[in-house]
Amino acid sequence: MLNLGLLAFAQPWLLLALAGLPVLWLLLRLTPPAPRRMAFPAIRLLAGLKAPEETPARTPWWLLLLRLLIVTLIILALAQPLLNPAARLAGSGPVVLVIDDGWSAARFWPVRQTAAANLLAQAEREDRPVVVLTTAASEQDAPPEASGLLSAAEARRLLQGLKPKPWPADRSAALAAVQDLDLPGSAHVVWLSDGLASPESDALATALQRLGSLRVLRDEGEGLARLALAPATEGVDLIARALRADAAGAGEAAVLAIAGDGRIVTKAPLVFEPGEREARVLLDLPTEMRNRIALLTIEGETTAGATVLLDERWRRRPVGLVTAGSRQEAQPLLSESYYLESALQPFTELRKGNVEELLQRQLAVLALPDSVVLSEDERGRIAAWVNEGGLLLRFAGPLSATRGSADQRSDDLLPVRLRGGDRVLGGALTWDSPARFAPFAADSPFADLELPDDVVIRRQVLAEPSLDLGEKTWARLIDGTPLVTADRRGDGWLVLFHTTANTDWSNLPISGLFVEMLRRVMGVSQGVGAGGGGEALPPLETMDGFGSLGTPPATVLALETGEDAESGVGPRHPPGYYGNDSLRQAHNLSSFLSQLEPLGRLPSGTTASLYQESPEQDLKPWLLAAALLLALADLLISLVLRGLLRPARGAVMPSLCLGLLLAGLTLAPSAQAQQSDDVRALEATLMTRFAYVLTGDDAVDEISRAGLLGLTRVLERRTSVEAGLPLGLRLGRDDMAFFPLVYWPITQTQPTLSRAAVDQVNHFLTHGGTILFDLREASGGAQIFGGGSRGTQDLQRLTQGITMPPLEPVPTDHVLRKAFYLMEDFPGRFVGGTLWLEALGENVNDGVTSVLVGSNDWAGAWAVNELGRPLNAVVPGGPRQREMAYRFGINLVMYALTGNYKADQVHVPFILERLGQ
Amino acid sequence: MTKPLPLRHRAEQLAATLPPLLVAAERVAATVAQGVHGRRRVGQGETFWQYRHYDLGDQPQSIDWRQSAKSDMVFVRQMEWEAAQSVWLWRDTSGSMGWTSDRNHQSKRERADLLVLALSVLLMRGGEHVALLGSGLRPSASRANLTRIAALVQNGEPATDNLPPALPLPRSAQLVFVSDFLSPLEDIDRALRYYGEGGQRGALLQVLDPAEESLPYGGRVRFDGLEQEPSWLVSRVEAVRGDYGRRLQAQRDGLRDICRALGWTCDFHRSDQPPQTALLRLYTTLSQAVTC
Repeated sequence: MLNLGLLAFAQPWLLLALAGLPVLWLLLRLTPPAPRRMAFPAIRLLAGLKAPEETPARTPWWLLLLRLLIVTLIILALAQPLLNPAARLAGSGPVVLVIDDGWSAARFWPVRQTAAANLLAQAEREDRPVVVLTTAASEQDAPPEASGLLSAAEARRLLQGLKPKPWPADRSAALAAVQDLDLPGSAHVVWLSDGLASPESDALATALQRLGSLRVLRDEGEGLARLALAPATEGVDLIARALRADAAGAGEAAVLAIAGDGRIVTKAPLVFEPGEREARVLLDLPTEMRNRIALLTIEGETTAGATVLLDERWRRRPVGLVTAGSRQEAQPLLSESYYLESALQPFTELRKGNVEELLQRQLAVLALPDSVVLSEDERGRIAAWVNEGGLLLRFAGPLSATRGSADQRSDDLLPVRLRGGDRVLGGALTWDSPARFAPFAADSPFADLELPDDVVIRRQVLAEPSLDLGEKTWARLIDGTPLVTADRRGDGWLVLFHTTANTDWSNLPISGLFVEMLRRVMGVSQGVGAGGGGEALPPLETMDGFGSLGTPPATVLALETGEDAESGVGPRHPPGYYGNDSLRQAHNLSSFLSQLEPLGRLPSGTTASLYQESPEQDLKPWLLAAALLLALADLLISLVLRGLLRPARGAVMPSLCLGLLLAGLTLAPSAQAQQSDDVRALEATLMTRFAYVLTGDDAVDEISRAGLLGLTRVLERRTSVEAGLPLGLRLGRDDMAFFPLVYWPITQTQPTLSRAAVDQVNHFLTHGGTILFDLREASGGAQIFGGGSRGTQDLQRLTQGITMPPLEPVPTDHVLRKAFYLMEDFPGRFVGGTLWLEALGENVNDGVTSVLVGSNDWAGAWAVNELGRPLNAVVPGGPRQREMAYRFGINLVMYALTGNYKADQVHVPFILERLGQ
Repeated sequence: MTKPLPLRHRAEQLAATLPPLLVAAERVAATVAQGVHGRRRVGQGETFWQYRHYDLGDQPQSIDWRQSAKSDMVFVRQMEWEAAQSVWLWRDTSGSMGWTSDRNHQSKRERADLLVLALSVLLMRGGEHVALLGSGLRPSASRANLTRIAALVQNGEPATDNLPPALPLPRSAQLVFVSDFLSPLEDIDRALRYYGEGGQRGALLQVLDPAEESLPYGGRVRFDGLEQEPSWLVSRVEAVRGDYGRRLQAQRDGLRDICRALGWTCDFHRSDQPPQTALLRLYTTLSQAVTC
C-alpha cells in the first residue's frame, strides 16, 4: 500500500502503467482520425479528384487530452485509491484487537465500533486472522480473556454483540491474558483505548508491543469520559460534582438532575477551571423539587460513570417528630407539633409517630416537643441512636420547667443541666421587658442569620451555670442567658431550645428566624448513613454500560453492607440501586473511583492516534464512473467528428451531454412519483398495511422494511390481522393517511423535514394516526427531551415543528401492556430503553396514543430475510428476547388497530386468577 | 410550425397562383383524345356547335327533337370537336434524389415530386390529359386521375434507374423530365434521343441540392455514393472544390447541348429556391411550344 497521507493506493504497482501514457500520446497523435463519412449524390463528379498536398490530419489536442485523462482515471481506479486510509496492517501474524470496554468506553462507543469494524475490514482484505481481547471483566465475572484466532467475519459477529460494561476495565487481568497469548508471527496490535490511565496501563502497552507493532487509539481532552461524583450536601443544598481526566485548559459540561420518572428537574453548568480536575455547581432548587431528583448525569455523556444515583442519603433530611404521647392533641392548631411540622415540612422529609416507630427507619433528626413524655425504654433507644450519630432536637416548656433538677439527673438527653422552674420576662410581676436575641456568635451554626427586631422571648428555662456552658451555647439573649444549647453525645448531637416550640413562651415559632434556625440545625445533622450493618441488599435496578437503569441480570449478587464488606463495582455488583422495600441504596461507580488520569506516554515505537470518524473510503467506483462518463463523451465527440451524428443546431450536443449527465446524477423520480400516485394509493388501501418512513439511509430503510415484513408474518400466523407487505413512506410526498401505524427510525442522516412534511405529519397525528419513533440506540430514551444522547438530539431535530403531545413512560396499567400478550417491558434488538407515549388525559382518539418514542430498535429485532430467518442478532440475546420483541409488535398493532377496548374488563378474571397464584 | 400539408394540397396551392395552362397542341388531328381546345369544326365534344338537316346515315339518337318540332324539318344537333394534348411527366426517383445537405431543405426528390404534381394540377385545370410516364395509366384530365397521380407520386418507391424509361408514346405527346441528371452524358443522350427521334417535344428540369453546387465541406471526408458507387476519400475537400465546380459546369453544358440538338428546352433548379420560379419557367416553356 502506498500511503500519501490523506490518500493511499491499495495496488500501487498498477500506477507504473502511468509511465505508458506518453507512448499512448504518441500513438494517438500518429494515427490520423477516422475521416468523416458523408453521403454525396454527385460522387461521380468527385471520383478521381485528389487534394494536391496530403498533410496528415491531426486528432485535435483536446480530444487527445480527454482520452489520456480517461486512461489515467482507469489506471488510478485500478490502483484502488483509498481516502482517509487506515495504516497498513503491520507484521505478518494475526491482528490483535484490544478493546477497552469498561465504563469510560461507553462514551463514543459507536465510534469505537466503527474503528474496530474498519480494522476488521482491513484484516479481511489482507486475509489475516483476528484476536479480540476486551479489557473489562465479562458479566459472568470472568476475567478478560483473548479469543482464539478468528476470521474477520467471526470477529465482526463478536464485535456486534459487544457492549460497554458499567464497571472499570481490569487491565491487570488483561495484561495476564496478553502474556498468555501465543501468536504465530508478529502481530499487528491495535488498542482501542478509552484514553484513561490505570496502574497497569503502561505494563499492558509494553506487553502488547512485545506481540508486534502497537497502535493505540485514544481520546483526548474533552473527548475523555468524565465522572459524575456523588454530590456533596452543604446544609440542605445539593452540590453536583464532576471529575475530568485532563486538567489542561478550561472545560465545560452541564449536569442534568433527573427525576425518577425521567423528567428533567434542572440543568446546571459545570465549569472546569484550567488546571482543575473537579468542577462543582450548586443545584439551586426549591426544596420541594430537590427531593424528586433520582439521579444526576452529565449531559451528553452516556456512561455509567457520568450518572450518579441518589438515594436517601442525598434526599432531604428525614426528620422524625414525636407526637404520640403528647398531651396537646386537644388543640391541634396550638400544639407544638403543629408549629414544628409547619416549620420543618418545606425542607425536610417529616415523619410523625411514636419513638419506636420513628427509629425503625433511618432518621437524621428527631424532634421532641416538650409535651412528650418519654418512657425509660424510649429514652434508652434515643440515647443509643444519638450515640450513633443522630441529632435530637428538644424544646423546653412547662413540663421541663416543672420537672426539677432532681429528675434531670436521670434525663441525660439534655445538653446542659437545667434549673428547676422557669424565668419569666416582661410578665405582670417582673420588671424586665421581654428579651431579644443577642447577635449570634461567629462559631455558632446560626452565625450570620439576620435577627428580626420583633422576636421576643417571654419565658425560658435556665441552664445551670457550668464551665463549658459558653461552648455549648449556640444562641443567647441580650442579657447573656443561653437560649439554644447543644452538646455532642457520642457521634450525635443534643440540641435544646430553651423555650417552647409553640407561641406560649415566645413569638419565635411564628417568625422566619425559627425556620432558618431549624434549617441550620438540620445542616448540623449528619444525615442518613449508608445502610444498616451487615445486611445483604439484593439488587433492585442496575445500570448498563450506557448508564441507564434496567432489570438486574441474574449474575448480579446482593450487596453486602457493613463495615468489613468489600463491595467494589464489578460484574457482581454493577452500579445501580440495591435494597429492599424499606431501604434503597444507591451503588455508584464514582464512589470507588477517586481520580481519573489520562493515558500518559506510551512506550516508544507505538503509534498513537485519535479516533477519527471519517472512515477510509474506496475511490475506485467513483473513478471508474468518471472514466465511463468521459468515455461516453468521447464516443459522442468522435461520432460528431466523423459526421455520423449530425446536430441540427449547435445546441443539441451540449444539451444531449447535459441530459445524459443529469439522467445519471439525479434519477429524477418526481415525474414517476406523480404517475404512480394512484397506483400507490390503491396499493396502500386495498389491504391494511404498515408503513415505515424512508430515511434516505438505505441500510436503515432496508431493516425497517424487513422488520415490518417479519412483524406482518408473525401477525398473520398468530392473529387475525392479515396485513399486506409494508410500504416505505417519503414524508411530504406520499400520503400517510392510509396507514394505521407508521414506524419511524431516527437516523442522523435524515434531512430535516420540509414545511409540507411537517404539516402532513401533524395532520396525520391529529387525525388518528400512530407513529412509533425508534431512536435505535442501546439503552437510550431514559430522558428524551433533554439533549442527552445522539438519538434524542436527532429526534428533536426531526420532530421540530411537529406537535408532540406531552409524553410519559408507559404506565404500569396501560393497554399496551395487555393488548394481546401480557408484557412488562418492551425489548427490541436492545433491552432496557424506556418507551414513552402520550400522557393519558383527554379521551381523544379512542385513547390511542398518537406518538410512541422508544429506543430499542424493534425493526432490527423483527427483521427477517426472505426465508424468514432473523437478520440481526439481539443484544444481549436469546430467542426469548426476540419473541418478546414480536409480542411487543403484536401488542402495538392490536393497540393501534383496536384502540383501548382491551382496557375494559376483558382480562380481569384471568389476571385475578394469576395474581391469586 | 404547422404540420406540412399533404403533397397534393401543396401542389394545388402552388398551381393556384398560375392561370390554367393550355398546352399548345401541335398535332391536333393526330390525337384521338378530346380536350377543351375548341377546334372550330364539328366533332365530338360537349359544346353546341350547329344544327343541320337530318341526312341519311345519321343516327336517330342524334336527332334534336326539340329543334325538329319547331318546323317540318328534322334537325341533327352537332357539337364542336374538342381535342386535348397529352402530357407525360416523369421525375427521377433514384436513391440520389432522396438526399439533402440540410435537413431544413426539401430533398431533391421532394422538390421534384412537388413540381411534377403542381404541373399536373395546372395542366388538368387547363383540360390537358396528363399521365405519369411509366405508371401504366392512361392520360386523362379527370379529377380521379389527379388523385391517382398524387398517390403514385407520393408513394413512389425509389427506383434503381435514374433515367426515363423508353416507352412507346403517341407522337403528339409532350414530355417533362425532372431529375438531377448526374448520370454520364452519353446515357442521358441515349435516353432522350429515343423520344426526340420519335418526334415528341419535351422539357428537362435539373434539380440540384445547393451543396451539390458549392461543395461546402472541408477536411478529410470519405464520400459515399447513394447508388452503390464506390466511395471516394478526399483528404482535403477544400482543395478540390474548384475542380468539382468545373466538372459540374461541364455536365450542365453537355445537358444543354443534348437538348438543343433535340429541340427540347432545358432548365436548372436548386432545391433551396422557391418552387414557383421553376414552375413558372416550365409554364412558359410549355406555352411557348404553341407558337412554334
